[in-house]
Amino acid sequence: MKVLTDPALCVGADLAAWMARGGGEGLSRALAEPASIIPVLEAAGLRGLGGAGFPTHRKWSAVAAQPGPERWIICNGNEDEPGTFKDRFLLAETPHQVIEGALIAAVATGAAQVVLYVNPREAAGVLACHAAVAAWQAHPLAAAVSAAIGQALCLRVVESSGHYIGGEETGAVSSVMGGFPFPRLKPPFPFEQGVNDRPTLINNVETLAHVAHILRHGAAWYRALGLGDAAGTKLYSLSGDVLRPGLHELPMGTPLRELVFVHGGGMLAGKAFKAVFTGGPSNTLLTGADLDVALDFESVRARGSRLGTGAMIVVGEGTSILRKTAEYVAFFAANSCGQCPPCKIGTHQVSRILERLDTGAGRIGDLEALENLSHMLPGSGRCGLVDGAATVLASSLETFRAEYEAALPRG
Amino acid sequence: MTDGGMSGGIGFAAALAAWDAAAPAPARACGLKVADLLRGFHPDHRPGGMVQLVAGPNEGAPCPAQLAALLQSDSLLEDVDLAGATILDADVLVLGGGGAGCVAALAAARAGARVLMATKLRMGDGNTVMAEGGIQAAIGAEDSLQRHFEDTLRAGHFAADKALVAALVGDGPDAIRWLVREGMSFDLADERQRMGGALLRKKPGGATAARLLSYRDFTGLELMRALREAVLLQPGISVLDGHPALELLTDDRGRCGGAALQDLGQRRLVLARAGATIMATGGAGRLHLAGFPTSNHYGATADGLVLAYRAGARLREMDSFQFHPTGIAWPPHLEGTLISEAARSAGARLVNGRGERFVEELAPRDVVASAMLRELAEGRGVGRDGKLGLFLDTPSLEREQPGILAQRLQTLSHLAHRAGFDPAREPFLVRPTLHYQNGGMAIDTDGRSALPGLLAAGEVTGGLHGRNRMMGNALLELVVFGRRAGASAAADARQERPRNLGLNHLAGWRRGLLAAGLGLEAKGPLLFPPYGNVTPQDLRRHAA
Repeated sequence: MKVLTDPALCVGADLAAWMARGGGEGLSRALAEPASIIPVLEAAGLRGLGGAGFPTHRKWSAVAAQPGPERWIICNGNEDEPGTFKDRFLLAETPHQVIEGALIAAVATGAAQVVLYVNPREAAGVLACHAAVAAWQAHPLAAAVSAAIGQALCLRVVESSGHYIGGEETGAVSSVMGGFPFPRLKPPFPFEQGVNDRPTLINNVETLAHVAHILRHGAAWYRALGLGDAAGTKLYSLSGDVLRPGLHELPMGTPLRELVFVHGGGMLAGKAFKAVFTGGPSNTLLTGADLDVALDFESVRARGSRLGTGAMIVVGEGTSILRKTAEYVAFFAANSCGQCPPCKIGTHQVSRILERLDTGAGRIGDLEALENLSHMLPGSGRCGLVDGAATVLASSLETFRAEYEAALPRG
Repeated sequence: MTDGGMSGGIGFAAALAAWDAAAPAPARACGLKVADLLRGFHPDHRPGGMVQLVAGPNEGAPCPAQLAALLQSDSLLEDVDLAGATILDADVLVLGGGGAGCVAALAAARAGARVLMATKLRMGDGNTVMAEGGIQAAIGAEDSLQRHFEDTLRAGHFAADKALVAALVGDGPDAIRWLVREGMSFDLADERQRMGGALLRKKPGGATAARLLSYRDFTGLELMRALREAVLLQPGISVLDGHPALELLTDDRGRCGGAALQDLGQRRLVLARAGATIMATGGAGRLHLAGFPTSNHYGATADGLVLAYRAGARLREMDSFQFHPTGIAWPPHLEGTLISEAARSAGARLVNGRGERFVEELAPRDVVASAMLRELAEGRGVGRDGKLGLFLDTPSLEREQPGILAQRLQTLSHLAHRAGFDPAREPFLVRPTLHYQNGGMAIDTDGRSALPGLLAAGEVTGGLHGRNRMMGNALLELVVFGRRAGASAAADARQERPRNLGLNHLAGWRRGLLAAGLGLEAKGPLLFPPYGNVTPQDLRRHAA
């Protein structure tokens, strides 16, 4: 069942069309019973769909419990990692879902400052968000939100710098405040000290998009959408060596095999399945032994990997794991902000070695160097960038060592 | 000395046109003797650049103003804050988790001490991993300890402590053996000979023999990798990440007996009591002395110097810093990041806003940096988005040696990619960047400071480098003096146990500040530079 990507809801910035299709109902219920919002999300089991899987109601409660009148909400649409293309779809095709979710968050947490934080490289999303935000300004529901929180709602679009690290929570805070998106140390966490050192709720666009539906249809309805213990639906960004790559909205917990071989149409050119780079791509690779895994946060974690953003980059026989890993590590190296030396130096050196190996210029000792780096780097940066690079390196090296050895110089 | 010698400069577009019209750039004669150039433009020498310390053990000594303000600051803590704090006991407390701290912790633990290592950020997240060049040790047949000794003294303008330098170079070969035993890899003269092969030796700048040992071009990262694994596997070492020291603890005789740590995660104060404390907190680059950008890590905020000075330890050469000529000047988010000397060695020229070369690019670092600062001060710099720099002419280099950027200068190309331009078409904008603290805590050859119970190792110490550090001696220093300080601390801890610990030194320190007319408004250490969002006031609040 499609919820977020229901074609009928893909009305772009047309607010009247959104309202005509059931939009505003969730927000109206939230306004009628503000105290029930967070318990409903808890009962629904909504979790952070930007990759962390953190229970949404806990973040909201934490912000709501902070003192002081000034609070912020950042709808995080900075999406920039290879293989993930869900948020740009939501922002361009159905931005009102996201905004309505953010306004419900505003009512629940008392935050008057609501920022749609978007990646400027996705021009269609930026345009749609500007138009959608303009449409909300004169709407009576926006005025009702202001009345409910006792402050004038300030809803606006902020374009990020387009850097990958701008999606990290503290990087996003810095970006919204006009600075370069340098991640900073936590604590203090954004829920206590975010924008202007004020309590700030940061949720991924996909997470917020679910909120209006949950308020409208109820927690039980949402839970029932998922398979097994998992709740709701998930946007899987399927790409790589499959017949039908694209965005697939499926029940949370859909097995990998079903995603690839049913919804994805199977492997491209009938090649054998080899592996999947999941959500980032900054996690341990899933292999043929994992085809039965249910794609939800817990089940994927039980296989030693992570669901992440729901990106699934499928690799078939004939595609080089080494080449793919080199590409992804090069991405991380280019996007390291440079604050933490092990990340700045380490990602770049790993990238260089992988590039050399892949281009036939490998040296004796390269694999030991890569292994050593993959031990050294995890946990050495203040944000997760270096961990992601090290994990994808270590995993590909462990699982597909033969491909690495084959790239070494002979003799 | 408040702005690093900035003034107007020539607009980026005009400078680019001048560079393009003139390329390859014609050289302009310097017109100054080297000594005059240094005296006139090196930040260490510029008149008005230094203030005199008016309180503490180094009263009367020159020191950069920002550093002086921190050294002569009041504590973040009061006695009352210590009430109810969690107490941890160890034989040896190591403050800092970079190279020196790890080596010291290992040495102390292997000498039988129970070691607590507290880091501000996390183990290994420091400047050590950024050392690209290598580590010096006189192991070649044609080399000698004497030559290493003389090279080091000469590079430091003969200001170094000879006994310390003798200890450094004398322990050098064994330090390398120790690193190999710890599992560190080195480049081999013949890569195919895996067992019993000789180490590859290169000649560092200013040396009379091939003495620089390396591992690829990330020697520091490999060193830290081996040290980190060794620390994690070593029984007897507990590591506390995210626990910066706010104050040293002293007993009623003035002896150091540990430190008050801030547990950043739990937001509580932890009192770490120890028979001996080793300061391994690194340098001061992130103070951006005189407004300079820095190649240093975010954590390099002179915390150790501030705590040690306040408790009575003497410092030396606090007016001497090394500036690397080619730090990135633009874009702002990469400001200060190093472009290694490899670019100039390969033939890249420095060009001013008028399209002129103005210095022999391979002259010593202090000379090149001074010549660059002169250009900036005299209005021949290049201004871009409020940042001022000089061109590092990579396009001409690529034209003269096609393919060199992609093949030999990959790190430079990677930086350009991150900065968002093509180095084959557009020159880098660079300016001197604060690189290394030559001075620091005065220590003896066993790593002991003048304050009983307090030892030190690494960049936080002074005396080894005189007024200018040789490439490759920083990594050697942290191994040699980390080992010495660790062994000494373990021995000291067996003999001395702290008693009546507290902030006993602060009353006298505060009286001294007031007597010098300084007041108690300024607090230190800095711990986190401003853009880190955690202010000392936050810490104070959380500690209370």
